[in-house]
Amino acid sequence: MQVDQTLDCKGLSCPMPIIKLSKALKSMNSGEVLEMLGTDPGSKTDVPAWCEKTGNIFLEQAEDNGAFKFYIKKK
Amino acid sequence: MFKKGELRDLFDSIFAKSWPMWVGGITLAVLNILLFVIKYPWGSSSGYANIGQNLFQVLGINSLGTSIPISLHAVALLNIFVVVGAFVASLLSKEFGIRVAPIGELIKGFVGGALMAIGATVGAGCTTGGFFTGVAALSGGALALGLGFTAGTFVALRYLLWEMEALPNISMGKNFTFLNGTGKKTGWQRWLGWILIAAVLYIFSRYTASANGAAKIIGWHVFLGLILGMILQRSRYCIVRAFREPFMTGEATAPVAVILSILVTLVGFTVIKYFGVGNAGELSMRAIEMKAVYANFWLRALIGGFIFGLGMTVAGGCAVGTLWRAGEGHIKLWMSAFGFVVMAPISKLAIVPFVKGILPESMQSKLFLPDILGYTGAVVLVLFILLLWYLFVKWNERTGKFSAL
Repeated sequence: MQVDQTLDCKGLSCPMPIIKLSKALKSMNSGEVLEMLGTDPGSKTDVPAWCEKTGNIFLEQAEDNGAFKFYIKKK
Repeated sequence: MFKKGELRDLFDSIFAKSWPMWVGGITLAVLNILLFVIKYPWGSSSGYANIGQNLFQVLGINSLGTSIPISLHAVALLNIFVVVGAFVASLLSKEFGIRVAPIGELIKGFVGGALMAIGATVGAGCTTGGFFTGVAALSGGALALGLGFTAGTFVALRYLLWEMEALPNISMGKNFTFLNGTGKKTGWQRWLGWILIAAVLYIFSRYTASANGAAKIIGWHVFLGLILGMILQRSRYCIVRAFREPFMTGEATAPVAVILSILVTLVGFTVIKYFGVGNAGELSMRAIEMKAVYANFWLRALIGGFIFGLGMTVAGGCAVGTLWRAGEGHIKLWMSAFGFVVMAPISKLAIVPFVKGILPESMQSKLFLPDILGYTGAVVLVLFILLLWYLFVKWNERTGKFSAL
């Protein structure tokens, strides 16, 4: 998958990851893919829910070495 | 008798994925009703204050101390075992991890906790004991607290959004994660979870084996704290979100869960108060009716609620939200708990007397709504307010009129 930008939210807890995600996507172009790294278990439900609410496309979720990875395509 | 897979299914249905928040809301409501029957409905901030007072006592600062040890303070123990319960649930669901946020976030945690301590002592209640419990207990001050939380949350969210633009470095920088439950070689987490459950049950049995009635009550707080903490972690039940999300993402999931929770609690509490249930005849009918109704209507609650709302939004967890996230391993929320614990005794000694001194009696009265509206009128008023809140958050979810993100 082509990743256009990576956002590190490791160590952060609610609500900071979603606020950062929203800000990061604002600076990206439509169709670009953001990779978001995080360690808050809440993000597993918060990130897909926020994408659905805002119309951005939640592509997939993975786990790597203790961190969650979320891939989001800007609408 | 049964297949091994069936037990596994049961385990997975509880620990493999998060519960919907409304499921947490309803189960917590039932436990809150039980706490009321046992002694006193659910609260949290007085427990933080007791832990802080014991800390100052140990340090030799007796003016900020107390004569009640943590082991005999039901709310302090409830708080501690909520942390343990959330720890256990996060171990069993492999969601535990010690997560050290960047230093700026840790400072925000401490400041948020300290503000919550000031808000909870000035306003005579936090989101749980003052609001969630208070509204269901038909307290007028609880409604004023809710307005204060809304205003404080709104202002602090504006601050967070501003910080993200103007001072992005606060939430950036070195962070660490230890003992994370995800990945391989993490079987020990589940074993530790089961061992802790056994340990808590042992402590519970020691308290309840006592001939002393007060010890039995405290024992039940140990046990119910464990269950509350587990439910809170699994459902990620969060009252901050109930106040914040309409202004942030616009999602109505959290406010609807809290509304439902208050609704169920309202039915239970009203029955208890109406019939004077519980306490084995020790208390008068009036004393039971006035439980969770504090001398904070209305300005005292509004001011305290505003300060508390600022704190919980900056910390990312209210009094109870701080506890279960601390149990899950977020060090920012440990800092919040520490700020709360340290500041609560100081605020009680230095700030609360000042606020009580300058406010006229009419702005810090104990208002039990049935005293002016009757039980029917009071319940209808609370139902009407919950309905308005529900309509607002659902309308806002659809239109995004008040949402920043």
